[in-house]
Amino acid sequence: MGTFKTENPGNQPVWVNTNNCKACDICVSVCPSGVLGMVYEPTSTLGAMISIDYPDACIGCNECELTCPDFAIYVADRKELKATGKSFAKLTDEAKKRQEEIVANNYMSVKQKGAK
Amino acid sequence: MAFNYDKYLRVNKMPTLWCWGCGDGVILKATIRAIEKMGWDMDTVCIVSGIGCSGRFSSYIDCNTVHTTHGRTVAYATGVKLAKPHAHVIVVAGDGDGLAIGGNHTIHGCRRNIDLNFILINNFIYGLTNSQTSPTTPRGMWTVSQKNGNIDPTFDACKLAIGAGASFVAREAMTDPKKLEKILVKGFSHKGFSFMDIFSNCHINLGRKNKMLSAMDNLKWIDSITLPVKKWEALSEEEQLNIFPTGVLREVEQEEYCDMYAEIQKAAKGERPKITQDDFKKKI
Repeated sequence: MGTFKTENPGNQPVWVNTNNCKACDICVSVCPSGVLGMVYEPTSTLGAMISIDYPDACIGCNECELTCPDFAIYVADRKELKATGKSFAKLTDEAKKRQEEIVANNYMSVKQKGAK
Repeated sequence: MAFNYDKYLRVNKMPTLWCWGCGDGVILKATIRAIEKMGWDMDTVCIVSGIGCSGRFSSYIDCNTVHTTHGRTVAYATGVKLAKPHAHVIVVAGDGDGLAIGGNHTIHGCRRNIDLNFILINNFIYGLTNSQTSPTTPRGMWTVSQKNGNIDPTFDACKLAIGAGASFVAREAMTDPKKLEKILVKGFSHKGFSFMDIFSNCHINLGRKNKMLSAMDNLKWIDSITLPVKKWEALSEEEQLNIFPTGVLREVEQEEYCDMYAEIQKAAKGERPKITQDDFKKKI
């Protein structure tokens, strides 16, 4: 408990430390590209947990990392990600639409089964 | 590898004891990033915090920390700064800590213009003790101590600091962490009393009876009452009443207290003549 995961697990553009996440929805609301969403998680205090549904859509704006109050979400360094052969995506209309759907869905993931 | 927060945190104290979505965490993060930008050695940094939710601040950063009595943050910090003039002292106080019980210490810190970095975490309510009216609670809001609506006028902390003579006064909301980091860097690099009024959210205690139950609703409300200072100046006087300007509100060069205290020490040792009125630009 408590240790951070600032090291990138397997060349991901964005990753979370579920030990620290308290499911406050802030990162989901600030993401412009619909990458994140909440899923039901009975063992969490608020009954929800963050999930990264579309990592390939991440544009690397760092908003989620900066606004997370609990040091739970991290975004890769742009140069380091490029060195591994991956890069951040560009913001598309499809991604913007998906983000609107997620916000309308009360920040719950649209991928999840049985979402509202 | 993302930004390495581990270096600056006491990782065995994580996760934080603050509620989900608490703005204190964002301010903690912005402070760490600002310290990294300043390039300070953590052995020369001292964080002084008082009582309240903001008092937890000193528990989480791995540097010299003092968790002091209620409202006396500036008093303790002044002592630290006078004993170690080269230390970078950051004072963290909440709105109850810095404006209510510690209001007198705050204004005298501003008046002396001692080189402290004062971060006022303003969440508009007494959060730790569950929703009593604080000096910054907006009028008409429900609190435990004023259940039919708060009738007390709201404190404008920045006007207070300007009036008391702080040489750097700024306001920022935690809704924009990038701007917040810039303001903190400016305040940290300023020599003299840097007063930073930072709006934070408390959707648990302020929001639950005031229609802001989720963190996002509270952040939207904070956005609606703040405006960058240049846009704010363009508003009419009536519109300005309910909006707070953000950004740097005052930045001037003034004599710093520790420098003058060093002169006093020299005079006491007989290394220089006694201090007279001619030594000061501003005499009264």
